[in-house]
Amino acid sequence: MINTDNISEASFAYIKAYFDKFLPMTPEEIKGLMSYCDLRQFDKNTVILEQGEVDDYLNMIVTGIVIKYAKIGNKKMILQLSTEGHVINSEISFLTRTPSKVYLETLEPTMMVSLQYEKMEEALALFPKGERLGRLIQEGMYLKKDERRYAMLSKSMRERFLDYVQQHPHMIQRVPQKYLASYLNITSETFSRFKHLIRESTAK
Amino acid sequence: MISSLRDYLNQFVQLTDEEFRLLMSKLEACKFQKRELLTNTGEVENYLYFIERGLVKRCFLKNDEVIVSHIAKEGGIIGATPSFFSRQPSRYMVEALEPTTALRISHSNLEQLYTHSKTWEKLGRVITAGYLIQQEQILYDTTCLTVRQRFVKFMKENPDLILRVPQKLLASYLNIKQETFSRLKHLMTEKQPQI
Repeated sequence: MINTDNISEASFAYIKAYFDKFLPMTPEEIKGLMSYCDLRQFDKNTVILEQGEVDDYLNMIVTGIVIKYAKIGNKKMILQLSTEGHVINSEISFLTRTPSKVYLETLEPTMMVSLQYEKMEEALALFPKGERLGRLIQEGMYLKKDERRYAMLSKSMRERFLDYVQQHPHMIQRVPQKYLASYLNITSETFSRFKHLIRESTAK
Repeated sequence: MISSLRDYLNQFVQLTDEEFRLLMSKLEACKFQKRELLTNTGEVENYLYFIERGLVKRCFLKNDEVIVSHIAKEGGIIGATPSFFSRQPSRYMVEALEPTTALRISHSNLEQLYTHSKTWEKLGRVITAGYLIQQEQILYDTTCLTVRQRFVKFMKENPDLILRVPQKLLASYLNIKQETFSRLKHLMTEKQPQI
C-alpha cells in the first residue's frame, strides 16, 4: 500500500500525469488509487518474474527498464522493452491466473507502482473509476502491441531499425545491443551494420 | 443470432433480461456481401462487429500484397479495433471473406452504455482484456514458435478455416511463406489417417 505522503512531490506528479492520460482524476482520487498499490524497487539485472510463476502484479514503471522475454534454448527472445511511464507484466498469466511463459527482468535499478491481482479486484469493486481506468489502460496496452505487430508485418529490417532509434534514441545507450536486435527481429550482425545509419540520420 | 451474442457475453458477465434489452437497443443488424468493405484504410473505425454468420478479415496492403492481421468467424468480434480505440485513421481495412451477417455497435452507443452502469464498464474491461490476451498470444507465437509449430497450432484450433480461407491469406496471417505453407499442408494431410 502506497501512502502518498511518503513519496516525493515529483513522483506523485509523475504518477498523476500518467493516469491523467487515460482519465482525469483529482489528487484525492489518485491518493485513493495509490492506497491499493505497492511501490516496488529492484536492483538492475533482477529477474522479477520467472517462467512458470503466476504473475501477481500489473506494473507501471516510474524509473528504470524492464524487459519481457521467452527463453528458447539459451536464447532470450525479447517480447517487450519498457521504460518510464510504460505498463508491463505477463498479461496472459496475470489475467488468466496461469503459469507465465515469459520472464520479466530489470536492466537498470527500477522503481514501479505495482497493483497486486487481489488488490485490483478490490479496487475494481470499490474504486469508482476503477473499471473505466482498467479498460482504458488495457486499450493502451493493446494499441502498443498492435503498433509493434504492424511494424513487424509492414516494415523492412532497416525501417524497423531506423524508426526505433529515431523514436527511442536513449534506448541505444540503455539496452544491450543483442536485446534491441532480438526485439526488432534483426540479427546482431545486421544490427551492427545498421549502426552507421544512426550517424547518417542524425547528420541530416 | 441474439442467443449466440448472449452466450458470448455470458462468458464474461451475467446480464439480466433488462440489461440485455438495453444492449439490443444499441445494436444494429447488418449484412455484407463477399468482398464488401466494412472499413477502409484511412477511415476512423466507428463500429465493432459481432459476427453471426460469415467470415471477415482485417488486413492492409504492402506494395500489392495483402497482409492479414486478423480473421474472425461466427461468434467472434472484429473491426479496425486499433482505430476504434484510438480514434485515429485506420491502417487496416476490414473486408468480408464470405457473405456475412453481424450485429454492430457504434462508438457513441458503446460510450452511452459505459456511462449507464458499472456492469457495462466491467463488460468493456473484460472484453478488452480478451483482445489484449489475443494480441499478446500472437506476438508470443510469432516470436517463439517455429513456422511448423504455428501451422499445427492454428490448424488444431481452426480446422474449419483451412477450407474457408484462401491459402495465401492463411499463409499471410500465420506469417509463413506460401511455398512453405503448401508443403506443411501436404504433410498434414498425409499424417491425418494416423491421428
